[in-house]
Amino acid sequence: MPPVISVQALRKDFRYPRQGKGVAAAVRGVFAPDYQTVHAVDGISLQIGEAERVAIIGPNGAGKSTTLKMLSGVLEPSGGTATVFGLTPWRQRSALAYRIGVVFGQRSQLWAELPVRASFDLLGHIYDQRGPDAVARREDLIARFDLGPLLGQPVGRLSLGQRMRCEIAAALLHGPDLLFLDEPTIGLDITAKAAIRDFITQNAAGAGQTVVLTSHDTRDIELVCDRVIVINQGRIVVDQPTEQLRRQFLAHKLVTLHAPGRTVTLDLPGVTRRASEPHLAVFEIDTRLVRVEHAVAAALEGGGIEDITIEDPPMEEVIREIYASV
Amino acid sequence: MKSTPPSEPHLADIARSALAGARAGAGQTLAGWPVLLGRAVFYVLLLTVLTALWDKVSTEHLPGGLAGALPRQGLTLYVGVTEWVALSIPAIHLRLEDDIRGGALEAWLLRPKSYLVQRVAEACGGMVVRLAATGVAALLFLAASGRAWPPLEVLGLLVVVGPLAGVIGVLLLTLAGLSAFWARRTLPVMLVIQKMLFLLGGLFAPITLYPTWLARLGAFSPFAAHLYYPAVLTLQTAAGPGLRDMALAALASQIAWTLLLGGLIAVIWRAGVARVLRGEI
Repeated sequence: MPPVISVQALRKDFRYPRQGKGVAAAVRGVFAPDYQTVHAVDGISLQIGEAERVAIIGPNGAGKSTTLKMLSGVLEPSGGTATVFGLTPWRQRSALAYRIGVVFGQRSQLWAELPVRASFDLLGHIYDQRGPDAVARREDLIARFDLGPLLGQPVGRLSLGQRMRCEIAAALLHGPDLLFLDEPTIGLDITAKAAIRDFITQNAAGAGQTVVLTSHDTRDIELVCDRVIVINQGRIVVDQPTEQLRRQFLAHKLVTLHAPGRTVTLDLPGVTRRASEPHLAVFEIDTRLVRVEHAVAAALEGGGIEDITIEDPPMEEVIREIYASV
Repeated sequence: MKSTPPSEPHLADIARSALAGARAGAGQTLAGWPVLLGRAVFYVLLLTVLTALWDKVSTEHLPGGLAGALPRQGLTLYVGVTEWVALSIPAIHLRLEDDIRGGALEAWLLRPKSYLVQRVAEACGGMVVRLAATGVAALLFLAASGRAWPPLEVLGLLVVVGPLAGVIGVLLLTLAGLSAFWARRTLPVMLVIQKMLFLLGGLFAPITLYPTWLARLGAFSPFAAHLYYPAVLTLQTAAGPGLRDMALAALASQIAWTLLLGGLIAVIWRAGVARVLRGEI
């Protein structure tokens, strides 16, 4: 079976005029601008098959969004080739649009002033969705994403979590075979994040959909994707199954303990003190050696804990670790 | 079984989608009925002030041929129509500026139908609702002020040339909006268009009152097709060959400028989207 996405030596360079200091430099910049070239994507090659769920991760400015834009057709590369369903995205954008769904976590694709129902109607016309199949799919999405009570509300008045459910449903209305998700859980609370992850996973599994996701949240990657591609400085540094990555790099949690006493202690195998301040300590838990709930229970047993925060290590840190290991 | 998606949108589907966009634009405008009502009230206030001004001008003795060029009852109806059209155009240039500069355009480009056709259709839908609301306000103003109504034939023609004038207005603002592909703000281009509407469009007085060379220049501009041609019909006091000739001139000018502006917009749009695809914005 041919791959859904096939990329060969894809490159994207951006050119910016360098800004000099002073009036003379400004005048010189008008007549003889000095350009600086940034290699945002620097020779990426990859293949993604049908029904794969792939996370593209990397630090800010690594080239993830640029790659996603080229694959969806809104950015022309400086070099290399890419095909999605056999189409060249930036040349056959309209044809490809019928087969892909895109969600930008930081940007709404719905009409803020219109009720959700009217936005869905309009999208139905834009994607030529007519007939019983389209109606059934829409009803199914409304039921699955629990959108019934939201349909009459203007999109602009929804909470971020509600809006994101509507955004994802909107991206699925035309039954795309491939879903691009750019930071789909950014800014959401824990419950909303969990709901969105469940929706994506269940929907993709049910429809045999291919999913390509970018995120800074390691939980998105662990729970939604079965393969992870790590990009740094425009190049792929790791491409492996999520399970393997989890064993290697995502086996840590950060637990912050606040206490009225000046010192906070937690002595367990697999627990390392990362930082200390009066009344506060940050511990790194190696989840391969000790479960997070056991570490938390041990901390509480000691008494005098006022507050606990459990976090994933920052993505930048995970990436640094991955990068250091290759 | 899932049907095979089309490779490109068909013309009929594009028209259907644009029609849905126009309906959505009309729905949005109707949903904001307090704003619509406020616009109608503002329009009536404007009419009250401007008609009082032109009534005074028409009763004064003006030098030269200018007095003869003015209708006996002043320019109440003329100004009423220019303001009727001008106040009904949604600020599509600001929407385009937001979408292009804010990055929302990229999400739109991932859809099979043209962003620009959809946005223009939405603006046209809103424009028609505004025309209807301010049109009713104008008729109420005429009834309440006891002024002479235009002949029925003129009212009938306005139902056709008014929306066409609105379409030209939407296209002019679209041109201003597309400048966002090259400039951070559309305001400078918008100011130029507004001054042109004042100078060449006959916003406050018919361009026939201008010096001959300026009147000729104005008559062949899209600004006159937008404001002067529909408004000047109201200076006809009865149906006849004069009105027919004016109506034909208005329609010819409006259709020609709709096509020309549409073509120009298409060229500028392609150049602008090419910049987005190259990552220059």
